[in-house]
Amino acid sequence: MEHSTPSRRTFLAAVGNLTSAGWLALNWPQIAAAAEHAGHHAAHHSGHAAMGGDTPPTTLHTLTPAEAADVEAIAGQIVPGGATPGAREAGVLFFIDNALGSFFAAQLPAFRKGLAEFQQAYAARFGADKPFATAPDAQQVAWLKEVDKSAFFNAVRRLTVLGLIALPKYGGNRNNLGWNLIGVEDNHAWAPPFGYYDQDYPGFEPYPGTKITTA
Amino acid sequence: MQRKTYKTSETVDFIVVGSGAAGGIMARELSRAGHSVVVMEQGPRMAPEDFEHDELKYRNLSGITNNPATNPQTFRSDASKKAEQTAGRNPLTYARIVGGSSAHFNANFWRLHEIDFIEGSRWGPIEGASLVDWPITYAELEPYYTKVEWEVGVSGLAGASPFDPWRSKPYPMPPLPVKSSGVLFERGARKLGLHPFPAPMAINSVFYKNRPPCAQCGLCGGFGCEVMAKSSSVWTVIPEAEATGRCEVRSESYVFRIGMNKAGRATGVHYFDKKKVEHFQNARAVVVCANGSETPKLLLNSATNGFEHGLANSSGAVGRHLMFNKGGGAMARFEHPLNEYKGANVTRVMHDFYDSDPKRGFYGGGGFDARSGGPLTWGQSVPKGTPTWGQGFKDYLASYTYWMNCSGHGTSLPQETNRVDIDPELKDAWGIPAMRVTYKDHPDDVKHAKWQVERAVEIMDAAGAAQIVPGEVGEASGGVHLLGTCRMGNDARTSVIDKYHRTHDVKNLFLCDGSSMVTSGRGQPTQTIEALAFRAADYINRFARANEI
Repeated sequence: MEHSTPSRRTFLAAVGNLTSAGWLALNWPQIAAAAEHAGHHAAHHSGHAAMGGDTPPTTLHTLTPAEAADVEAIAGQIVPGGATPGAREAGVLFFIDNALGSFFAAQLPAFRKGLAEFQQAYAARFGADKPFATAPDAQQVAWLKEVDKSAFFNAVRRLTVLGLIALPKYGGNRNNLGWNLIGVEDNHAWAPPFGYYDQDYPGFEPYPGTKITTA
Repeated sequence: MQRKTYKTSETVDFIVVGSGAAGGIMARELSRAGHSVVVMEQGPRMAPEDFEHDELKYRNLSGITNNPATNPQTFRSDASKKAEQTAGRNPLTYARIVGGSSAHFNANFWRLHEIDFIEGSRWGPIEGASLVDWPITYAELEPYYTKVEWEVGVSGLAGASPFDPWRSKPYPMPPLPVKSSGVLFERGARKLGLHPFPAPMAINSVFYKNRPPCAQCGLCGGFGCEVMAKSSSVWTVIPEAEATGRCEVRSESYVFRIGMNKAGRATGVHYFDKKKVEHFQNARAVVVCANGSETPKLLLNSATNGFEHGLANSSGAVGRHLMFNKGGGAMARFEHPLNEYKGANVTRVMHDFYDSDPKRGFYGGGGFDARSGGPLTWGQSVPKGTPTWGQGFKDYLASYTYWMNCSGHGTSLPQETNRVDIDPELKDAWGIPAMRVTYKDHPDDVKHAKWQVERAVEIMDAAGAAQIVPGEVGEASGGVHLLGTCRMGNDARTSVIDKYHRTHDVKNLFLCDGSSMVTSGRGQPTQTIEALAFRAADYINRFARANEI
């Protein structure tokens, strides 16, 4: 991981242990500058999240290989790759596997049942020897269009979006690929201008009849 | 600093239940006046470095809020139905850490206007509602609003809004830098002849009271502020209370029952410590600032001889008149990136439609703001007509930085039937009877919210939006502004506390938080809750000096 945990720690410890406004005033520009590089998203010090804290899971702990293959294929159709990386490249599968094995464990039985039904229905149409994951793209898309109102599909969809955008430590959003997709830069602090429309804001113009007072 | 601690066997002057917006102020004011104070907080104490920028954890996994797995609630829309748990979430949400919901608020600090206190007499009875005047006026609360702005720390531009109530002092800090959403909102609203203005926020814009200015990280609502720029109790009044050497903040201490003696006086509180071991802390008086859901729950769970229907509930009003802040808005996409994930949540506000207007055909009023939403929450739903998966959905996700929200925040009418009470079956992880929520929007609340959606669409259209997605106004199923459930009033038959926040029924029991509010205001209650706390503390200190508690 490019952004190291100690730098965020140092940043926060510096802020947390401030002793006087003078100290802060003196150091704030440097603190803020350091924060720019510290990375608020990718770096973490406490591992409440998942199996094993800060290190993103890279192996499967919950889903069987056959389950995982189909789930990854579905996620890959929900946010496909192509010109830019999609759910598959961002490691969404590892998020889903991690989530269902830990903080969303309560959903696992329903998820597994939904997946089994998905697989059975697919097998009934296309044969048990050719799982969904191995089907050509067009066939996957066509089949998903038939089942995309189901609770199971929506569960995969929800998990896919979470996995794409949640912190990389949960397993998805690998190398910030999800944030790259949505245009979010990984920094701890920002300064104006923030976007296109505030860069040339001329300042607030008071309304006739009002009286601005300042401290 | 050595933090003061008290033994449970010691009889402290005051127990303050809750360390949030009101509890923190109460603790500071009472301890500064020389009293011994123990603050009881259900949740843990978090240091700045404990707060993470983790939207999944904080918004989806109850990272710092009441967790449905341990603190479950049930919900029903009316009393004829059986209340059920809602999958994965609680209807009433609050932060369960030292600092309470002030630790995770968005920090929109609006004063109520003069009209908010007198709507009962202004509009008369409204069918199905209990819209009454407050027992205090804006003029009585104004000095305390000012106190909040200066003592806790609020940034803003005094006099900018032609609709602002009068004020005795300007803000101590200039407003935060405007974001693209604020610029566009201002552009659209001004085009329509409206009067947007810089948002008053309880966030430092400059160094103030030993705390740094906002780092513009972009994650306020739902998150704790690790740079301490947000004026949360945990960074402001709580350390000041502790600095007196007379205040102990006892975290992970869950008060479940108020102790009473035969004379009808509160004697202290029963609570569970971190290890779920039960204790009793003795006190001369108890001030409950536990929020609009936990305060009535605690009173109702404290029923005893002479108080069979709950403590301080001779009126039957404990838990009733639950209000949120109903509102409606729109999401809009623009041609260029706004990058709303950067910067404090709100930078422009508008109060042109604050007052209710009979010409609209319904009661209701509110304010509007320009605001952002975290990407993880945003990505969960799509506008009508946008594919929910596939390349079209991916394209939508890629447009995240081009979107903003124009949000209306408004009134919820107080209704006797909307309430928090105790579920007959459900218990929490400590074996304490859980709260049951009964809530249905008043028809006027829904009409007003829909009206707000139309106004938001107009503003975004005038701002030049490329695409506008009107918000959908559904039936309320919960809220985070938890108001009205122990309303203040002069009549002990219809209210729970008097205008000094003393319960009508128990002389040494006071309540102050969102539950005290008589009407909902227009969407941003926290500054009012804090002003009420400063005022209540002032009077409680006077009563203590006069030996009248």
